[in-house]
Amino acid sequence: MKSFWPIYKRELFAFFVTPLAWVLIVVFLIVQGMHFFLLVDHFAHQADVTGDETPLSAFFGNTVLLYLVVFLLVPPMTMRLFAEERRSGTIETLMTAPVSSAAVVLAKYAAVLTTYVAMWLPTVLYLVILGRTGTLDWHTAASAYTGVLLVGAAYLALGCCASALTRSQFLAMIWTALVLLVLFILGIGEFATRQGSVMHDVCAYVSVWAHMNDFASGVVDSRHVVFYVTLIALPLFVATRAVDAWRWG
Amino acid sequence: MLAALQRPTVIRVSHLTKRYGARVAVDDVSFAVGRGEVVGFLGPNGAGKSTTLRILAGFVGPTNGKVTIADHDVVEDSLEARRCIGYMPESVPLYPEMRVLEYLRFRAELKRVPRARRGAYVDDALRLSGIVEVANKRIGHLSKGYRQRVGLADAIVGKPPIVILDEPTAGLDPNQIRDARALIRALGSDHTVVLSTHILSEVEACATRVLLIHRGKLVAQGPTEAIRTLRNPTAVEIEVRGNPEIAERCLGNVDGIGRVVHLHGSGGHGVRLHAIFAEAMAGEGRARAIEQAVAALVAAGLGVRGVRTTGGSLEDVFEALTKEAMPEGP
Repeated sequence: MKSFWPIYKRELFAFFVTPLAWVLIVVFLIVQGMHFFLLVDHFAHQADVTGDETPLSAFFGNTVLLYLVVFLLVPPMTMRLFAEERRSGTIETLMTAPVSSAAVVLAKYAAVLTTYVAMWLPTVLYLVILGRTGTLDWHTAASAYTGVLLVGAAYLALGCCASALTRSQFLAMIWTALVLLVLFILGIGEFATRQGSVMHDVCAYVSVWAHMNDFASGVVDSRHVVFYVTLIALPLFVATRAVDAWRWG
Repeated sequence: MLAALQRPTVIRVSHLTKRYGARVAVDDVSFAVGRGEVVGFLGPNGAGKSTTLRILAGFVGPTNGKVTIADHDVVEDSLEARRCIGYMPESVPLYPEMRVLEYLRFRAELKRVPRARRGAYVDDALRLSGIVEVANKRIGHLSKGYRQRVGLADAIVGKPPIVILDEPTAGLDPNQIRDARALIRALGSDHTVVLSTHILSEVEACATRVLLIHRGKLVAQGPTEAIRTLRNPTAVEIEVRGNPEIAERCLGNVDGIGRVVHLHGSGGHGVRLHAIFAEAMAGEGRARAIEQAVAALVAAGLGVRGVRTTGGSLEDVFEALTKEAMPEGP
């Protein structure tokens, strides 16, 4: 695991030295800023606001706004992780250094996760502004951010895995987007299936929509946490095995 | 085996085979490399040189057989085996967005050079590879020659006991090739070096021992001297002053010279003639034929201005080596 640090640092460097990261961050912040403005504006004009509908809960859950940005953000962030190194051949110098496959996967994953967190960090400012003008439940905010972190971490792990499984960045991006879309649609299936059926339960269990609603209203359900931790660990494990498998290709 | 007994063996390869689907890239290859040797892998393109080196470097795994680097198995003890090597792949892949210094620091850290010694190691690698002046340039902006040298610096930055270089002079200009060869010879003083090339003169210039590989099989191995003797000239080129017809007739009468070709394009009073040896001629007979040719030309009153043997290319050596092993079909 000694090789984790140098690879992690290089990945972050490679990400921020290219315009891609900055473009993604800028687009993300503009979109999120607009969402926040629209939501606050919307709630300010409502005569009767109930307790379970707040700008905070709408910003993180109950609306499609969050998924849209995360959807569009994750595939271009993760596509280059392995695919780029395999295309340019630098994977050969990387893997012939004394590094373990697990360290390579974890370092690359940690680097995109760090970038993801850095993207969300400025949005804390919105909440500070919100807190100044009214009362803000910081527990709910913390729970909402936990949700954002878990969902993002799981999506990034899936993207990381897709990048390890293909040589083409474009394919890695398409695969990631497809998997995320299927996962989302499966979750939406909760509303389309009959209550009490097995399909309904399955859909409800994997529904990002339902998960984020809970997180955004201050509920950190251990079932959700287990689901996301699994969704982080499994793709990373597959990615590690894929990196090992290159040797025998 | 004698060489292996004299020097402690650092690389041992036994019955190595690598298959890609139905294609056999390396076929039952066995050899050993002793400490401090500079071993040249020689073979035409696609002979299996790169695949063998990639297996030594731990990038691809063998299908069959056993490879140990400093007594560490490349499959079971891969990490320790990789700690002992510095490897430069054929295409010299680098990160174009990084500066040379940043890149070498990164590589030194990756190769677990302790922090206190990292700066000195990077400086040594920069100096040895002759890239001090581009240390702060982005790799993407460097010329092919400099990139090649950055690759070399990367291979030696961790001061590994074994350096593996895949086609280290490919794509360099003659001056750069001379520098690279000098560097490789210098490396040989305190590293074990394994390099691959498809150029015969390259192994002669750098290596102490040669492994000839052809279609995945090890055809021959031995000290560079032995390969050099295999490299028989196939013709002699003679520059004479005087009548070319007389010269041609003189050479045609010499025993052991099969055919004479008049080479055009020589300036001044000189004429260049290409005398091709007869097939049956052995090494000593050829030397005698050259003596007789020169004597005959001088006796005919022609001025001999230059004599040079030609031929003995890699293809000729392979032909000589594989003739006995693989009899020609009908």
